[in-house]
Amino acid sequence: MSVLEIIDLKTWFQTQDGLVKAVNSVNLRIEKNERVGLVGETGCGKTVLSFSIIRLLQPTTMIEGKILYKSKDILKLSEREMQKIRGKEIAMILQNPTTALNPVLKVGDQIAEAIWLHQGLKKKEAKEKAVEMLEAVKIPLAEKRANEYPHQFSGGMKERALIAIGLACCTSLIIADEPTRGLDVTTKAQIIKLMKDMTKQRSMLFITHDLEVAAEICDNIAMMYAGELVEYAKTDDVFKNPLHPYTQGIFNSLPNRGLKPIKGMSPSLIDLPSGCRFYQRCDYAREICKNRHPEMVEMENGHFVRCLLYD
Amino acid sequence: MRAEYLIKRVFYSVLVFFITVGITFAVLRQIPRSYPGLDKSVIAQYFVYIYNVLQGDWGYSQGVPVLGLIWEKLYWSLIILVPAISLSLLIGILVGAHFGWKRGSKMDASVLNVMMFTRAIPPYWWAIMFILIFSFHLDLFPLGGYMSISALDRGISYSDILYHSALPIITLTVYSIPGTYYLMRNSMLLTVGEDYILTARAKGLSEKYVLFKHVLKNAMLPMVTMIPLECAYLIAGNIFIEIIFSWPGIGLLTFDAIAAKDFSLLQGIVLIDALLIIIANFSADLFYSHIDPRIKVGGGNV
Repeated sequence: MSVLEIIDLKTWFQTQDGLVKAVNSVNLRIEKNERVGLVGETGCGKTVLSFSIIRLLQPTTMIEGKILYKSKDILKLSEREMQKIRGKEIAMILQNPTTALNPVLKVGDQIAEAIWLHQGLKKKEAKEKAVEMLEAVKIPLAEKRANEYPHQFSGGMKERALIAIGLACCTSLIIADEPTRGLDVTTKAQIIKLMKDMTKQRSMLFITHDLEVAAEICDNIAMMYAGELVEYAKTDDVFKNPLHPYTQGIFNSLPNRGLKPIKGMSPSLIDLPSGCRFYQRCDYAREICKNRHPEMVEMENGHFVRCLLYD
Repeated sequence: MRAEYLIKRVFYSVLVFFITVGITFAVLRQIPRSYPGLDKSVIAQYFVYIYNVLQGDWGYSQGVPVLGLIWEKLYWSLIILVPAISLSLLIGILVGAHFGWKRGSKMDASVLNVMMFTRAIPPYWWAIMFILIFSFHLDLFPLGGYMSISALDRGISYSDILYHSALPIITLTVYSIPGTYYLMRNSMLLTVGEDYILTARAKGLSEKYVLFKHVLKNAMLPMVTMIPLECAYLIAGNIFIEIIFSWPGIGLLTFDAIAAKDFSLLQGIVLIDALLIIIANFSADLFYSHIDPRIKVGGGNV
């Protein structure tokens, strides 16, 4: 049984500029103890997808499709039932550690409240467990640090504290949204190692724009472009044999592989092209790509791609 | 660290006080009249003035010491100001918090419009309307003054003062609720959109818990800085209220002082107003350092 199965998910919301089609017919499955990397550039709908799963979008957002968590469609749950799942079954680690912690509450209390809520412990016991969590994420002098406020923490430590909040209640699925964003190289490496160690017994959806970070942590990689998945495969397969021109373009833009950027800009999610969404930027674009929207096809053992080159 | 912050705040408060004294001194010196030390140089006059102010000698108004006169009137003003400020803060914050949390509803939009309407109209118009409706037509409150004629026989009673102060308090409260409401609502809207609120919700906390533990505490922070400003605004607005209701406070005293061109008295009133606002600011700073942990470690690194 998969931990999470997303079936034909569409998440759209209205803004002043028009209807933003942030997530379009996404299918994704995460097995038990599997770590999937969701990779794509800024504004491709990764974060909206993750917030759809944990259902923390504006009430006016239109969500269609199914999100099965352990075979249960969480889109059909009431808000109260959803609260029992958040933080306990599915936890989220938000991007931007500088703003994701409450500035006026002690860090220890921010971890303890999740434990106290979901595990029915007394407040004092929850606080003790919070200190243990801080130790687990390798924060020195955890007992003292638990009584400090976020502004007394460095960027890396805030990220660790956020990870501690996410992992505090033994959740089965972790959604991590760019946890390495804005961290310097050394800290980044430490956080990646920590994420890897801490999520061994858990499933994870790891969101990032950095293919190399995803490769460090994830078993499988899903490439997202303009609101849809364009390639899905085992991490090794993506690295050895990237099929989609977008994935190839991302590889070519890496510093150690030529630093050659993909030309152009990704299309606006308000005004999506009717054909292939990568058409304008693609080196292999043909006339047919302009009007025909490609479907996801399986090329070889578990390697999926959405491109007319393989049709 | 805490002491350092305190000392800094005290220093700035004292500095502001001396600047205010300097300005009132400079402005009122432009008016030809006699005052102590007129035969000495300007600098010497300034120091004589400061010395006198610190000694409690604020000059004389028609033979009566200014400071004593102001104290007595201040007491009457506070009878209106303290309840009006407390009530308007309480109501403004509650209503603002409620609609900031339930933003976008039809009720929210209508309350916003009513508040803007209330604030757009000057306080003296409200005062006149309230007297017309509640005192003249409905006969619920007196037309003005601070006690009934019968008090001459029976002496002043608390209930009689309350009866007379009710309408001025209501007017001032009505006038000052929108400012608090608007700021609180805005502050709520900003806080609700913060990332840490998402973190809190992602933990599975109930909406009520998120509101009370995470949103309100942060949304209250700008309110604390706003309160002294609101007080200053009210002290100014109170002049009209006191004139219209014939309430014997600082506002009416100011009006009389202007009418009689009594400059020593005006100087004293400006000083006492400045002092009140400085004290309000100082207490807000103290309180702020209590509720915002980022200030506590303060000093130079924040």
